[in-house]
Amino acid sequence: MNSDPATNTDAAWVIGLLQAGDSFYPTGSYAHSFGLEGLVQAGVVHDRATLKQFFQLSTLPSLRQAELPLAAHAWRALGEADWKQVGELCRLSSALKTAREARLAADNIGRQRTELMATMRQHPLAIEYVRRATKESWPYSPAVAAALEGRVMGAPLPAVLAGVYYAAVASLLSAAMKLLRLGQNASQSLLTETLSEAPAIIAAAEVVPLEDIGWFNPWLDIAAARHETSDSRMFIS
Amino acid sequence: MVSFSGHLRLQAAARAGGRTALAGQSFRAPYHLSKPYWDADAGTLLVQVVNPTAGILEGDFLESDIAVEKDASLLVTTPSASRVFKMTGGSAECRQHFTVAKGGWLEVLPEPLVPHRGCRYRQTTKVEVETGGGLFFADLLMPGRIAHGEAWAWEKLCLETEVRLGGELILRERFEQSGADLKALAALAGSGPKACFGNAVLVTEGEAPWLPAVAALHGDGVWLGVSALRRGGWSIKFVAADSIRLRKTLCDLRELMAPHYPPMACAARKL
Repeated sequence: MNSDPATNTDAAWVIGLLQAGDSFYPTGSYAHSFGLEGLVQAGVVHDRATLKQFFQLSTLPSLRQAELPLAAHAWRALGEADWKQVGELCRLSSALKTAREARLAADNIGRQRTELMATMRQHPLAIEYVRRATKESWPYSPAVAAALEGRVMGAPLPAVLAGVYYAAVASLLSAAMKLLRLGQNASQSLLTETLSEAPAIIAAAEVVPLEDIGWFNPWLDIAAARHETSDSRMFIS
Repeated sequence: MVSFSGHLRLQAAARAGGRTALAGQSFRAPYHLSKPYWDADAGTLLVQVVNPTAGILEGDFLESDIAVEKDASLLVTTPSASRVFKMTGGSAECRQHFTVAKGGWLEVLPEPLVPHRGCRYRQTTKVEVETGGGLFFADLLMPGRIAHGEAWAWEKLCLETEVRLGGELILRERFEQSGADLKALAALAGSGPKACFGNAVLVTEGEAPWLPAVAALHGDGVWLGVSALRRGGWSIKFVAADSIRLRKTLCDLRELMAPHYPPMACAARKL
């Protein structure tokens, strides 16, 4: 175990990432289930066991091959002020989501996170990002926004990816608690189990090359597409 | 080990009177072409690409480049499933590049891909459609040789699709599940041990009056979802409990769309 004392610089980005990952932070993600409601309506996910399977077979591979590598590449591109690459990553992030609602959810959450960075922190990097995104009509991306947050706060890449991982799993669990008979203890134990896999998933995601980014679950995409015209629903996506 | 480095190049152009003809063609084994057929009713040229070998073998590198010029219309299909055979140490790769000019239409309907036990296969499909052009592309995937009791046994399978409209990226997909993971997903969704997959992309502008009827194909062992792409197109994914229902879903889908996109009235099995 590292016994070096934490520096004030560490404390600054740790507290910043805690704020950005808190359910109190107004990203709007509470209104989305990211396709989970469609799978619940289809009877695929109906209890803790099937939710855990869904995490293992769909959520974690998608994080490993799509969201986390996108955030990693964006973090590196922002560090080099490679704006062309940042714009390409925003378009790639949008193009990877074939279900319209999932894409709009990502765009809205990404925009909110980005604009919060620019307005609350008044950081030149975030302000420049918003200027370029507006001028060049970039779609917004939660993964790229997380990378921007990391750069603004001075957080290292593994910490940024850990934040993306936590936010994705916690958002789904929060939605699952409303959709399923799933209590707080059961959901926290599932969160703990899923978080235990984070180090391996993050390490794998850090080295995914740009051309290998992408992963999809056909059933989730179909459920998300059908959710668009569902007769009744609790979540926007 | 005998391996092929095959290529296929097709260039479809509009001729006087509205017919489409192959203005250019070049192919090398294992590709071979059937004689093109002009379907006057559908207004499209039907071309079958034949692989006279048993299928895709270790070391094969296949490259195809299909271009549809302004106002031309082309349907490219294959007469039988593409089997990807067991490989001992190497792999096989297929790279496809489709371009469609303004006013052109391209439909690509290969028969299903059947990955055998222990195969390693990568397929990349890059599509570039000019604004005002149209395309329908459907990829079908079987879990394996079901009749032999062999399924989900490939060693590596990677299917990538990238679509650009007017130069802008509107879709990128990468399908790289292990057989075991996909089998588990199929079991979780209740699609069963013989689940087959269809992944279609329609690039077209304007309204989609066919949408409710196509969405209604969902049910009775078939999962089907349609959603709008970033712009100018649609993603249509379907999963069926068996290959018969998968093929029927694709047939029904084309039938429902044909009144709105006349070239889709051409029967792919006409030759």
